[in-house]
This record gives sequence, structure tokens and C-alpha cells, in this order.
Amino acid sequence: MVKISSKRKESKRVHIISRRDGWAIKKEGKTRASKIYNNKNSAVSSARKLKEKGLDVIVHKKDGSIQKWEKSKKQK
Amino acid sequence: MNTNNDFSKNVFINCPFDDQYIPLLKSILFTIIYLGFTPRIALERFDSGEARINKIIDLIKASKFSIHDLSRIKASKKSEYFRLNMSFELGVDIGCRIFKDGQAKDKKCLILEKERYRYQKALSDLSNSDIKSHDNEPEEVIRQIRDWFVVNELERADSGTIIWDSFNKFMADFYLKREKEGFQEKDIQRMPIPEFIRFINEWIIERRNN
Repeated sequence: MVKISSKRKESKRVHIISRRDGWAIKKEGKTRASKIYNNKNSAVSSARKLKEKGLDVIVHKKDGSIQKWEKSKKQK
Repeated sequence: MNTNNDFSKNVFINCPFDDQYIPLLKSILFTIIYLGFTPRIALERFDSGEARINKIIDLIKASKFSIHDLSRIKASKKSEYFRLNMSFELGVDIGCRIFKDGQAKDKKCLILEKERYRYQKALSDLSNSDIKSHDNEPEEVIRQIRDWFVVNELERADSGTIIWDSFNKFMADFYLKREKEGFQEKDIQRMPIPEFIRFINEWIIERRNN
């Protein structure tokens, strides 16, 4: 099995990912999701606060593809 | 990187190729490569002069593992025909294991369906077979494939959740890279499967080396 490295530099992206039991907020580089929400809107609203801290918020569709990519307010 | 010549690493994928199925196919391809295997699929090469059945037989003979998805064999609307290719190719694969000698005896297959037991109405010969359902969810198909490889070949592997999260991250990197290269949304959605497979391989190698 391929071992994916976890030693990459600190990522500035957070993902909203579908889960069996809801929608997860998962920061890149972390092993576990920070929180699971019952619905997607709640997860997106909560994750948007992280844009202030310099994180891009990537909202995924249920199939894993990209629905929306919200850029951080600190970058650029 | 595995080559197409390694029987013990090849995984034949027998599934529909319509637009509705492509998201599931992408997650299947990613999981196979993530776990260190090589997906083999009729779409991997395109030669109008090559008879499709010959290509399928070559892929089946070259692959120790196979994944057959029967979730689309039922017609989805009135006047539409049954789709028989998937069950036909499953039969060829099982026949190869039974009638061919040598390494073909080691072949293993995973049969997937949308819902448990639905296939029995059309394919009762499989009534006592262990068939897994994915409910048309890429997250679930990843989990089923991962578990099947762990039971049949691998001693251990990352959890289904870790692989699913990696797939989502991969899709973000894929989207970003293609967008920077000037690809439009529809180009990204309809990318030829061999190109998509190459991108997965490059992404996996990049992460392994970092």
C-alpha cells in the first residue's frame, strides 16, 4: 500500500467533505475531521470563519468533486 | 509504479461508462491506485480498429482482481433495454477462472450492486454469492473496495474514511492544477480516463516522495 506522507508544510486549506453521518470540516494535514455537522449549510457557515485566519474553504459535492472554492481573506 | 504487465497487481474494472456513473468510477480508480494496484479498464486505450470483446478478454486474462458493478443493469426508463454488458463480462471473468489453468485460478472478484439482493431478480445464479452494495455513493464504494482488498490481499490499509478524505483532497488538487492550465469546467469533468489515471498516479508519487 502507498503510504501518503504527512510531513508536508502547513496547509492553508480546509475541506467540507460528505460523511455517512453528515458533513465534516477537515483541515489539510490533520488526521481527523474537526467536527461533523448534520447539514452542509451549517458546516459551510462554520468553516467560513476560518477564512479570517487565512484558510481557503473548499466545499465538495457528495461525490468528492468541487462545488465551490472560497479564497481566504488574508491571502493574495 | 506498477506496470500493466503485473498480473498480481492488475484490477479489471467492469462498469458502465455513462455520465451518471463517472463520479463512482473516479473514486474506484483512485482507491485502486491508492492501495498500490493498477486499474485496467476498456477505456484505457482507444483504437477504433480493435474489437471491444477482444480488448475485454485481454484485460480479464491480464488481471488477478476484478470489480464488477451490476448497479446499472436494470433499464432506468420505459422502452430502455436491459444493459447486459456488465453481467456478460462478469460471466467471462468467472469462466476464465474456472476453465483456464495457471495463474487464472488465483483470480478474485468483487461484485457490487446499488442495493442488497436486487440483482437476484435478474441474475439468480449469483444468489449465494457475496455481493456488496454501494447505494451509488462514492464514499461507500471506496469503503467496500478497501475492505475487499484487506480481506483478500493486503494485511492492512488506511481506513475507508482516510482514503475518502484523500480522494477529496486529490480532487481539489486536480481541479486547481487543471484550472491553472486553462481547462474549463466541462474539460475537467469529461477528461479521458487514461489522462485521469495518469494524474492520480502523479499525485500519489508526489505525496510518497514528500
